[in-house]
Amino acid sequence: MTGGHRFWPSVTKAMLWAFLCAMGLLVIYPLFWMGLGGFKSNSQIFSDPFALPESWSFANYLTAWQATQGYMVSSLLVTLISTLTTVTISAWTAFGLTRTEIPGKPLVVGIVLGGMMLSPTVALVPLVRMLQDYGIYDTHAALILLYTAFRVPFTTFLIRAYMLDLPRDLDEAAMMDGASPGQIFRKVILPLCQPILISCVVLHILFAWNEYLFAMIFTNSPGVQTLPVGLTSMMSKQGTNFAAVFAAMTISALPIVIIFFLTQRYFIRGLTQGIGK
Amino acid sequence: MANLTLRAVRKSYGTMPVLHGIDLDIAEGEFVAFVGPSGCGKSTLLRCIAGLEDISSGELRIGDIVMNHVAPAERGIAMVFQSYALYPHMTVFENMAFGLRIAGRPKAEITARVHAAAEKLQLVPYLDRPPRALSGGQRQRVAIGRAIVRDPQVFLFDEPLSNLDAALRAATRVEIARLKKSMPGTTMIYVTHDQVEAMTLADRIVVLRGGHIEQVGRPIELYRNPANLFVAGFIGSPAMNVLPARVEHAGERSVFRLADEALLHLPLQMSESEVGRAVYLGIRPEDLRLAAEADEPLLQGRILLIEHLGEVQILHVDVGAAKETPLLVKVPGTTQLDENMTVVLAADPDSVRLFDAEGIAMRTLRAESVGC
Repeated sequence: MTGGHRFWPSVTKAMLWAFLCAMGLLVIYPLFWMGLGGFKSNSQIFSDPFALPESWSFANYLTAWQATQGYMVSSLLVTLISTLTTVTISAWTAFGLTRTEIPGKPLVVGIVLGGMMLSPTVALVPLVRMLQDYGIYDTHAALILLYTAFRVPFTTFLIRAYMLDLPRDLDEAAMMDGASPGQIFRKVILPLCQPILISCVVLHILFAWNEYLFAMIFTNSPGVQTLPVGLTSMMSKQGTNFAAVFAAMTISALPIVIIFFLTQRYFIRGLTQGIGK
Repeated sequence: MANLTLRAVRKSYGTMPVLHGIDLDIAEGEFVAFVGPSGCGKSTLLRCIAGLEDISSGELRIGDIVMNHVAPAERGIAMVFQSYALYPHMTVFENMAFGLRIAGRPKAEITARVHAAAEKLQLVPYLDRPPRALSGGQRQRVAIGRAIVRDPQVFLFDEPLSNLDAALRAATRVEIARLKKSMPGTTMIYVTHDQVEAMTLADRIVVLRGGHIEQVGRPIELYRNPANLFVAGFIGSPAMNVLPARVEHAGERSVFRLADEALLHLPLQMSESEVGRAVYLGIRPEDLRLAAEADEPLLQGRILLIEHLGEVQILHVDVGAAKETPLLVKVPGTTQLDENMTVVLAADPDSVRLFDAEGIAMRTLRAESVGC
């Protein structure tokens, strides 16, 4: 009896491990294969797609780096500024929606969060007209503005859920201490929201770094275009040089992978604390 | 001057009234406790005084200044919250210094004031720690310290001990009493549902029910002369025994008929017009005793249950149809008694309270013998 009691939990555990390893492999292998492809020659990619590179040459990565440098700078600029604007605006909005008395508050919350339902594709034509009217078509500002506008509702939704769980006593204690609403926000609420803010920063970086539709429609000049558009144009230019394309894709994915691994602990804590309760 | 005056203070949430016109005067340096059951409005009243809730109508004065529309921080008030409300991302020092920093006080003054308060509350070794590294009692002391450094005219406590275990609660209660002694000019208002805290700490107790003040008075006054059955039941543990009765005969010694037809002769003069009137007799459990030979017996009954509390024991005595719930009697813990034993009870007539059919106190009985 005792042996049976030990046997089945061990088997279940082993099966779970096997399943998780298989899932991990399924996700990691394509990335790994892409990274390895960057070290191979173009002919080896076709002749021996699953083998290790014959020689570990960085030539393809160098070519790819030179070809994507400009796009990388654009992506960095747009991602960093839009992350800052999105998270700042969303945190202020969430504070207003959770901590102040507004007439018709449920309606205001509905309107702000309703923005999540707005499809970017539907808005494309009016947005082209609008950005042309503002004179910011084909500029970094256009992408920063759109990324901010389209991500504020979702980011507000996440931060608001987190703020709702923070005890009101803290606001009231700060109020008794003489803090203004702005000071309560900056000195008490914002530091306590650190986990969800990190999650929102990571989510926004993921979005802005990989966004393709707006970047393709609202930018034309190579100096303004971001990495996803740059990669497509590189593919059309060097369509036959898959090794260089793989190297470029690896370079573009690397920052996101690094950021995610560095912040993964806070990222998960932020999301679970905010919505899980 | 830190005396408080409340005149016809009302508070409603939408159409739901919570406070129904509170009139109260609190003198400078007084320690007043607000007590009452859950939902009676005691915390709301405290929050109105703090400025965390707007007053719907009426007037609140601190000293000579009307405070209805003055911001909480400008009322000269500090508050200790039930949950402590310490800022988790700050150290103990930063928590205590927060208000002074917001007020833009010089660094040297902030350090001096925080250290003075920390010494008073034995918090100096913990100044660099975050609140999560402190015990419940230490956190409570930090919350008090944060209030002290602001040097308030009025201290508000919102059920400050309710999150502590019984031993720590007793110790912190003593600390609060000591704190009050060290700040004789500071007015303190203390909200609690624990009557022991109110009885031991307060100069005066305000008993609230359903947004109304039922009675205000010194603890012993409320205990000995409750204004009505609610206060009689709320103050004192175990609660006062209440016996429904009817005036049977008026005279020098009036006769009261209990529900089980037993007659009680009490030394109380009542008029002929009061014959037949329904009344309630109130007797505290500690005022009842097992009748000795010299005593006039009051009631007789069977012991249903004995609660041994060590020093004393609480008897649950079934006195028949005179009362639906058993009569509670507090007797010394050394008395040898068994369940199902029949006992004869006596009481000092001074201790018997009389209430009318609406539960309002009528008069105190004269000190004479009570007989059956």
